[in-house]
Parts: sequence; C-alpha cells; structure tokens
Amino acid sequence: MTTIKVEAANTKTTVIEKKKKVNRFLKSGVLGWVVILVVWQIASLFSEEMFLPSPYATFKGMIEIASDGTLFVYMGYSFARVLAGWSLGLLIAVPVGLLIGTNTWIRTILEPVINFVRFIPPLAFITLFMLWFGIGEQSKVFLIVYATFFVITINTLTGVLSISKDKLLSARSMGATKFQTLLHVVIPAAVPYIFTGAKLAMGSSFMAIIGAEMVAANEGIGFMIWNARLYFKTDWIFVGLVVLGLMGFLMDRLFTYGGRKFLARYKVVS
Amino acid sequence: MPAIADAIILKNGAKTFQQDEDSPTYVLKGVDLTIEKGQFYILLGPSGCGKSTLLNIIAGFLELSEGNLEIVTSNTNRDGRGFVFQSADSALFPWLTVEENIAFGLKMKKVPTEERKKIAEHYIKLTGLTGHAKKFPDNLSGGMKQRVQLARVLANEPEILLMDEPFGALDAMTRRSMQNELIRIWRETNKTIIFVTHDIQEAIILGQKIGIMSVGPSSKITTTYDVKLSYPRDLTTAEFNDCYRRVQAHFEDYGI
Repeated sequence: MTTIKVEAANTKTTVIEKKKKVNRFLKSGVLGWVVILVVWQIASLFSEEMFLPSPYATFKGMIEIASDGTLFVYMGYSFARVLAGWSLGLLIAVPVGLLIGTNTWIRTILEPVINFVRFIPPLAFITLFMLWFGIGEQSKVFLIVYATFFVITINTLTGVLSISKDKLLSARSMGATKFQTLLHVVIPAAVPYIFTGAKLAMGSSFMAIIGAEMVAANEGIGFMIWNARLYFKTDWIFVGLVVLGLMGFLMDRLFTYGGRKFLARYKVVS
Repeated sequence: MPAIADAIILKNGAKTFQQDEDSPTYVLKGVDLTIEKGQFYILLGPSGCGKSTLLNIIAGFLELSEGNLEIVTSNTNRDGRGFVFQSADSALFPWLTVEENIAFGLKMKKVPTEERKKIAEHYIKLTGLTGHAKKFPDNLSGGMKQRVQLARVLANEPEILLMDEPFGALDAMTRRSMQNELIRIWRETNKTIIFVTHDIQEAIILGQKIGIMSVGPSSKITTTYDVKLSYPRDLTTAEFNDCYRRVQAHFEDYGI
C-alpha cells in the first residue's frame, strides 16, 4: 500500500514538471517567432526573391550589410537620434504635463490647442523642420521631440488629474507647501502614467525617425530601407524591418527592466 | 473671547453651493457648534446630510459661506487639525512605506531624520503597527491601513482630530476593535476629536457628546446629546440600550 502511494505521488510530480516545462516554453514567446518564420518561409517559396525574400535570404542580406559594419553604423545613427529626441522630449513634456495638470488656467487655455495639434503627424512636419532647423541632426531630433511630446504630455496630465483629492488634502493638512506637494505627492502619483507615456512615445519616435531618414539623411536604417529600392535589394528592406523591431524591442525591454528595478514602489509595471 | 476650555466654536455657519445665479442651495444653514478641548464629539446624521461638508469646513478644506468659525489651538497654522479620511486607500501614499507615510508631515517640516524616525516609531507602537513599519500600504488589511492613517496624522501632533467615517468600510469585528483602539488612543493623547458617523451604535460607543444633524438641504445640528456612560462602553448593558433608544427617538422626531 505504502509503495503504491509513493509511486503515485512520483508520477504526479513528473507530470507537473512536464506541464511546467511546456508552460515555460509557451510563455517565452518563442513559439510565435517559429510560426512567423515558418509562414514567411512557405510564402517566400511561392514568390521571387526580389518580391519576397525568404528568411534565409534576409539573413544573408544582413550578413552582407553587417560585414563591413555599415549595418551597425546605421543602427547607431538611428538609435542615437531616437535616444536624443526621446530623452529631450521626455525632459520637456513631463514638466509641461505637470504644469498643465496642476494649473486650471493653463489647462483651459492649452487643452484645445493640444488636442488640435496632436493630430498632426510628425511626418507632415518633415519639410518644415528641415526648413527651420536645417538638414542636419537638429531637424531629425526635433522631429522626434515633437513625436514624443504629446504622448508624454497627455499621459503626465492624465496622471496628475487622476490623483485623489484626499491625497492632496492630506498633504496640505500635514503642512506640505504647494511645491512640496508637487514634489512629494503629485509627481510620485503620476510616475506610472509618465512611465507608460514614455513607453508609448518610443514607438512614435521610431515612426518619426524612419520617415525623416527616408526623406533627408545619408545614414540610418530609414535611409537604408529607402536606398534599397534603388538596387532592388528587397532583402535589405527586410533586414531594416527586422532591425527596427529588434531595436524597439530591446529599448522597451531595457526601459521596463529599469522601471521594475528602480521605480518598483511606484508600481510602474503591473 | 472664547472660554479657555473651548476648542472649536462655530456660530450660525452656512455653506451654499451656487447652482444658478439667483438661488444658492444651502447644504448647511444656521449651524451652531461648540466643542470643548479634549472632548470626543460625534457628528451623527443620515447620508447626505452634510456632516462631511461640516467636517471639511472645520478642517479648513472648505470655506464657510456665512457665519463664523473659531479654532482655538496653541499653534495657529493648519497643523492644529489632523484629518483622518474615510478611505485609507485614497488618502495614504502607496509609494511610501508605513514608516515613511507616518513621517511624511515631519519630513515636510524638515524635522531631522533621526528625530523623524523616533517619532514615527512612537506612533507605530501607539497604534499597534509594530512589525509593519517597512511594509507598503497595499500589503495591509483595511483596519491596518486606517491605523496607518491615524498614526500619520498623530505624528504631526495636532490638538484636534477630525475623522470622517474612518471605520465605515471595515468589517464588524475589525470595526469594534478599532473603536476600542481609538478610545484608548484618545485617552492616552487627550486630543479633541470630531468623529463623523451615520451609525448610532458607533456614536454611543465612542462619543461624549453627540450632535444630531437633520436631513439636508439646509441641515443643521438639531440636538446635542450627552452620553454619560463610562469608558470602555459595554453595548450589552441596559444603560447602553436606553441611550440608543433616546438617540433613535431624536431621529424619529425629525422623521428620519
């Protein structure tokens, strides 16, 4: 009797172990990639390489551009522009969001304007920005600043407006000045919203930079994609797409990790 | 000149909310209130009678539309009054630990870190939060959160405690033990307390004096009732029941 019981328990644990392993595999998200690669490969079999290059052809193309370092230089350019524009955008948008959120007058004046301008996509401004800021790095960075600004401002504003009145009143009744309340209550309470805004703005940044690099740049992933059409190098376009996704993915992961590590008490990542 | 023993005097207080230009709506009208120093005063009334509005006026969060309010404390700033909100979740700072929440007011007043820690520790002990100092409010039960709120307010050493149905969301058992705790803390600290509730039993368990409010609009304190029972109060005694009946009768007089 006793032996049977032990055996039963053992079988049960191995089953659970197996289930756990399957679960871990599913959760890792590898399956999705495998499916995409298979579908892509099959689709490419029915097509020409110039029309739809296979995953392998894309990989070869990647080796081709990477071997002389061009790919990495282009990635560096695009990434540096995104990082510069996004950081600058964050630096400007957060204080503006706090100001609009805490000041009813400013909010009344600016909210309609913001809700008008935010629907104008960054790409519509490319020519104007080049005219105003030149064809160098400035116009591209400013374009990203523009692309990030509204997302982060509106998120910050939402964060400020969603603070419970009780928190503000209790801070006041415990002797906090207006500035102290901003610093110790309003900003901490808005951190999760700012964080989400910053994450969303990353996507807009990549959108803006690729557009700008296609129109006016001699380097960068956008330039590479646009340039590939001249040589019918469809595989390079695919390399560009993959690299863009990868860069965004890594940036997002890094940012999320940082948030989890340093902003845990603000519950930025649920 | 107010009598030395008085802490709060409100004369003919009224609060209006402007709905349209000609006819303001009176939430409160003709409210007279005198609370002695060290008294445990209950504002009792049905939901929507404006008792929270009155408490917010006494706290200084809202302004009186008419009448005259006098708060007598040795320190004239707003710190003389501490406010315990109905919902701990919306009042506490979830990004601060229990200890940091309690030390918040002291930090704002730039009290040195060492002293801050000492004071926080004292109130953690007083409110029965020992062992929870490093936890975040989200990891505490409802009753514990209200203890944190109480400790956080007490740490600023206010002379007057304003409490807005702080035990309303707690289960019956936790509520009873919090009531006992509050009485203990009140007797140890000699605070003046104004406690808002719509529960007659709670009013009689806690209060020395009960101000009964009429239904709004234009509500006011219609009757004050002195509870002469000694603490801690036993709600199974005949005297307690007698009290209950009398307070209940006041409400029936006004058709509530």
